Order: sequence, then C-alpha cells, then structure tokens
Amino acid sequence: MSDQTHMLAGHDLAPGDEEQHSVGARILGYVVGLALALLLTATSFFIAGTDLVWQPSIPVALIVLAIAQMGVHLVFFLHITTGPDNTNNVLALAFGLLVVFLVVGGTVWIMSHLNANMPPMDQIMPMRR
Amino acid sequence: MLGKLDWSAIPFDQPIPLIAGAVVLVGILAVLAWVVVKGHLPYLWHEWITSVDHKRIGVMYILLASVMLLRGGSDAIMMRIQQAVAYQSQGYLPPEHYNQIFSAHGTIMIFFVAMPFVIGLMNLIVPLQLGVRDVAFPTLNSVGFWLTATGALLVNLSLVIGEFARTGWLAFPPLSELSYSPGVGVDYYAWSLQISGVGTLVAGINLVTTVLKLRTKGMNYLRMPMFCWTTLASNLLIVAAFPILTATLAMLLLDRYLGFHFFTNEAGGNVMMFMNLIWAWGHPEVYILVLPAFGIFSEVVSTFSGKALFGYRSMVLATMAICVISFMVWLHHFFTMGAGPDVNAIFGIASMIIAIPTGVKIYNWLFTMYGGRIRFATPMLWSIGFMVTFIIGGLTGVLVAVPPADFMLHNSMFLVAHFHNVIIGGVLFGAFAGFEYWFPKAFGFRLDERWGKLAFWFTFFGFYVTFIPLYVAGMLGMTRRMQHYDVAAWRPWMLVAAVGMAVLTIGVICQIMQIVVSIRNREALRDRTGDPWDGRSLEWATSSPPPVFNFAFNPDVRGEDAYWDMKAHAKQQSHEHDAPEYHDIEMPRNSPTGFVCAFFATIMGFALIWHIWWMVVLGGIGAFATFVVFAWRDHDEYVIPAEEVAAIDRVNLAERRDLVSMAGTV
Ligand code: HEM
Ligand SMILES: [Cu+2]
Repeated sequence: MSDQTHMLAGHDLAPGDEEQHSVGARILGYVVGLALALLLTATSFFIAGTDLVWQPSIPVALIVLAIAQMGVHLVFFLHITTGPDNTNNVLALAFGLLVVFLVVGGTVWIMSHLNANMPPMDQIMPMRR
Repeated sequence: MLGKLDWSAIPFDQPIPLIAGAVVLVGILAVLAWVVVKGHLPYLWHEWITSVDHKRIGVMYILLASVMLLRGGSDAIMMRIQQAVAYQSQGYLPPEHYNQIFSAHGTIMIFFVAMPFVIGLMNLIVPLQLGVRDVAFPTLNSVGFWLTATGALLVNLSLVIGEFARTGWLAFPPLSELSYSPGVGVDYYAWSLQISGVGTLVAGINLVTTVLKLRTKGMNYLRMPMFCWTTLASNLLIVAAFPILTATLAMLLLDRYLGFHFFTNEAGGNVMMFMNLIWAWGHPEVYILVLPAFGIFSEVVSTFSGKALFGYRSMVLATMAICVISFMVWLHHFFTMGAGPDVNAIFGIASMIIAIPTGVKIYNWLFTMYGGRIRFATPMLWSIGFMVTFIIGGLTGVLVAVPPADFMLHNSMFLVAHFHNVIIGGVLFGAFAGFEYWFPKAFGFRLDERWGKLAFWFTFFGFYVTFIPLYVAGMLGMTRRMQHYDVAAWRPWMLVAAVGMAVLTIGVICQIMQIVVSIRNREALRDRTGDPWDGRSLEWATSSPPPVFNFAFNPDVRGEDAYWDMKAHAKQQSHEHDAPEYHDIEMPRNSPTGFVCAFFATIMGFALIWHIWWMVVLGGIGAFATFVVFAWRDHDEYVIPAEEVAAIDRVNLAERRDLVSMAGTV
C-alpha cells in the first residue's frame, strides 16, 4: 500500500497464476506437497496410538501436526507465499483466520458461561419438587 | 404429487392478503401485457434481463429495493394502525395475521430493501469510481441479482399461497421449530433467505475482487474514493458473515425437515446456540448495511462542500476498524440470555468502543463542511439529516449496550426505536442520498429538486414523529410486537406514531412524484456534461449515462479526488485531451445464465417449501445444467471497434470542453 503509481492489478496475481515455471517443476511441487501431507497424516495416526511418547503430550503433538498440515496445504496446493505479489492472498487468509478465531472462540466462551446466572445445581434440584 | 400444497393454502377467508395479492397480480400482468403488446420484450430481454453490465444490474437492484420498500412500507402502515386502535380491543388484525406482518416487514426491509439498495448503488458506482470498464465477475454478478430477486418473489408468494413466518425476522427457535410452527411460513422464510443469501455472497465476492484487483492506472488504495473503501469493508463482511447465516438456517432446516435436534429442547439440542450464531451474523450485517451509507455521505458531503474529505486517512482507518470490531460485539443482542457479568461486560465495552470510529467519521464530515461553500441540494439535505438522526440512534445504541440498562430495555419499544433510528436515519437516508446524487449519472437527467426537498422534509419530520414516541413507550414498559394492549399510558404515544407514519407516507408520495415529474421534464433536466454536481471522483469523468465501456481510456490517476485534479489541469491547459487515438474495446457478452438459474432456483425453492420432491429434483437439475452450459461456453466477449468508441466518446468530449471553458469564464 505504498505510494506506488503503477497498476497494482498487474502485480497481484491469483493463487496458481503467478509462477510460469515449466510443467515439470510444477508437478514436482505438487508431488513434494503430497509426500509431506501423507507423511504428516501418517505421523498423526502413529502418534495417536503409540505409547512411545509421554501420553499427555499426544494431544499437543496432534495439534502441531494439524497446523503443519494446514501449512503444507496452503504452501503447496493453494500457493500462498510471502512474495510481494501475494499480499492480497495473505491478507485475505489473515482476515479469514481472525474472523474464524473471533467467532469460534467467542462462541465457545459464551456458550460455556450461559449458566452463570443460574443458582448452583444443589439449590435447583430441591426446587424441582 | 403436489406435496403439502392444496386449495386450503389459498387464504380465501382473509380478504386483505387476497385483495392485495390480486391487485399486485393484476398490476404485474398489466405491465407484462403492455411490454408484450408494445413490443418491448426483446429490448427488455437483451438490454436488461440478460445484461451483465454492472450499471444495468445496479439499476435493477435498486428497482427491486424500491418496489419492496413499498411492500414493506405497507406492512408498516398496517402495524402502526393496528397499534393505534388495538387499545383494550383486538384491533382489525387477528394475532396470527399481525405476527406474519411484523415478520415479513423485518425480513423484507433488511434483506430485500436495505441490502439490494446498497448493493445496487455499489454495483452502479464503484467500477466507475475505480476508473475501470467492468466488475471482476460480470455474469456471476447477474446471477447474484437474480437469486436475490428469487428470494423476494418467494416471500411475496407467501402472501397468497400459504402463509409467512410468525416468528419475527430472525425466526428464533424453539418457536420456529416444527412443533411450534408446523406450517410452511418458516420454510418460506428460510428458503428465500437461503437462495437470496447465495446471491448476496456472490455479490460480495464480486465486489471485493473488483476493488482489490481492478483499479485503473495510479488508483492505489489510498487514492480510492471513500465509497470504494466502505464498499470493500462492507463486502469483506458479507463474505465473512453470510456463510454463518447460511449454516445457521441450514441447521434450522435440518431440524424441520429431517428431524435433527440442533435447536430443539429435546435430544441435546441447544436453542441458545441459534441466538449465538444468528447474531454472529446479525451484528456484522448491520454494518454491512451502514458502511456503504457512510461512504455515500462522505462523497456527498465533500462534493457539496466543495472540499476534499477531511481526514481521509483517519476515515479509512475508522472504516477498517469498524469492519473488524463489528465481529466482536454480537453478544449485546442477548445480554439477557444469562452469560453472566464477565461475558456481558466485555461485550458491552466492545460495543461502546465501536462508537468511537463512528464518532471519528461524524467529526470528519463536520470538518469537511466547516469552511466549505455548502450547496444545500437534495443529496446534501439527506446527509445532514442523517448526521443529526444517526447521532441520536448511535447514542441510544450505546445506552442499550450497557448490560444493566439493557435488562430493562431489551425487546421493548425502546429497542425498536433504536434500530429504526440507525437503519432509517443511517441506511435509508444514505440510500436516498445516493439515489438523488447518482440518478443523473445512471439516467442522464437530474431529479426535480423541489419535490426532492419536499420528500426529504416530510420523511425527516415524519421519522421523528413516528419513532420518538416509541422511545417513550419503551420507557413506559411497552414491549415490542404487541398485537393489542391494555395500558392507557401507552395509547397516546401510539396515536402520535400513527400520525408520524402518515407524514412519512406523504414523504414517500413526494419521492414518487419527484420521479414522475422528473421523467416528464427530462429534456429540461438533461445532464449533458456528465458532471452535474461539480463532482470530484471518476464517475463524473464520463458521460451520463456512461457508455457500456464506461471509459474510452482508462483514466490515469495522480492523487486523491482524481477527477477534481483533472478538471483543474484541464482548466489550466484549456483543453481536456489532444486528439486521442482510440482502440478496440472488449466487453463481456450478455448472458441469460443468471435469469435461467434463478428461474430454476425459484422452482426448487417453492418445491422445497411445499415438499414437492420431484419438482425439487427438476429445479436442481435445471440450475446445475445452466451452470454447466455457462461453464462450457466458447466465447464470452465481443469487440467494440475503435471507430465506434471514437464516435461515442467525441460527443462526450465536445460537451465537456464547453463545460470547462464555461467554468473558466465564471
Ligand atoms: C454505536 C453503535 C451501536 C451500538 C452500540 C448498538 C447497540 C445495540 C444493542 C446493544 C442492541 C440490542 C439491544 C437489545 O436487544 O436489547 C442493538 C439492537 C439493534 N441494532 Fe444497534 N447499535 C449500534 C448501531 C447500530 C447500527 C449502525 C445499526 C444498523 C444499521 C443497528 C441495528 C440494530 C438492530 C437491527 C437491532 C435490533 C435487532 C433485533 O433485535 O431485532 N445498530 N443495538
Ligand atoms: Cu448489534
């Protein structure tokens, strides 16, 4: 958003449009992505059932692996990069993440507080009779 | 064969909807007959129905909104009369009918008046302001419009075939669940919103992409007119929020059609989740509506003050801040649901914070006017009227955003007064300002100022007389949506409000008169220069109405207020262009995709409402086939040869040269 006077439209491409690499290079990209994705998936399944690691760390490991999986998808399949031609896509992603975070986080927070104005259970139960 | 549909669906025992429906039907048939007999059908088909021109689509959106405004307005008149007479009596509307009216009124006013009006104005103007020839997805744009029209059609169909929801404009469960609303009313509501919701989402995607991707040379983000910024913010909100609405209504429909239990009282359903989700869409929605209006006021105030917008960058910042914060306040619609003081306090404070960027905007408009040479033309009157009215609405908003106060005021007439105060004073006044301001651009002639001013004053005062009493009634404890009441203290205020409604109606009549009179006098009101208001942004740099291709040359932008700069330069050099060299221009071909798609969507929606399953399949296949045919099309563009471009543009340049030389002599 600097004071550049050239046509911005020409410099900000849709995902997938930007690199005019050879077909071979592009296929390689997808293959690497697929391999990484499969690897991460396999690891998740392995970790979930193993007793090789400290048990409480399993959920954390799964979360980390899931986030890595998203990263792989974004980079290799959706072609989100940090290059200057990708500002819009990155911003759109950030906005989307922010909204999802606000709505999901807010919902969980709200829904878990909805009984706040109720008397405790042991006071309600006698009242029901 | 016909699912739930049979003769009992036609309300023969209720004269009001039947007569209204008959009158409308006769009206539509008469217009159709006139069109066919006069041989206008091909024109209508080629120039409008299949048009993918953003200007035409914008105009059709606004036409839809205006027609639906009359329908929603009739509902309003009926409700005001009912509450004026239903003191210790049943009035003239039985409860089940009254409930349908307030539900239809809210649904129509938000989804089929406010939304199409602002989307129409954005479609019409934003590409012109950006200095480009088209939107990003022209055919998709047409699909969006026609799906919105489908939704409107289904809502109106419910008047004569079956019934409409009696659940209020957001259809809260458990009332909207099958056990309490077994009829087709809620289904009419939900399916029309699902279908038009797709249309809105499509429109949002199209406009976001247009602003981000299609800007003319030199039009970087910080040179875009304010209206483009608010368009961006509003459509980002559409893209982010409308899926929530769709998902929520889909869950409600699953409950109703397939026995799910998302929002039921039994089997682990949670009614409160519906409130939570619907308002997670609902609060952003009010900003989807009001942000474009803010943009319109920015344009109008700076044009009619003859000054650049004060604090442009703070305005951009305020717009984007509102865009984000509007996703952090939704709980203020259900403080009373019992989330407790921690949650309520946080959301209450967030709600008050959103008033800050809004306040920034108000001050910016005031400072834009300060020291300016203000012309009190009709668009400017609506803008000033807005500033006064919206401040009151915003203040009462902050008031109900205080949780303890809201426990008193929630769902009272005070709340009704608050949101009408912001929606009429903000969105509708904005839509009217935009309508008056850009009408010459769309049609090539100005609107009659005398009738326009009358319309403003009647609407302005009519608004206050109608809605200030509702604040009082709310303070006196009157709740919303009452079909009748026995409290003597409320009666006088309801009578005053009814009088106000009459004044408002005169305002609407003046508005209609204004259009009629202006069309009659169009030759005298002709705008030959394309720049009737001495405008500042690029939509005024082309003729009125603009040619299909908007600009013969993509303008070269060198700063804010692009067209103002160009005029200043032209004055110095005493000519606008040296004999320019014209090029061929490629434009998208018209396409019936949108209309045909919506035709099948209408069939499908109707069939879903009445459980006519074979027809659902038919409509579904038709809509999908339309899409496939469009996706496999061969050529989608046509070329306007350079000579034709030149011929069209030279006329405009000649008129404009006169304007500039005249401006030089004054
Ligand atoms: C200063 C900014 C605003 C604040 C703090 C605010 C606050 C509130 C609050 C707390 C409520 C819920 C009250 C209740 O249910 O008891 C409410 C309702 C409402 N507001 Fe606002 N508001 C603001 C601006 C707006 C704007 C700009 C619009 C629309 C353009 C709007 C439209 C509505 C609507 C439609 C409702 C009622 C919906 C319903 O219950 O049916 N508000 N507002
Ligand atoms: Cu709200």
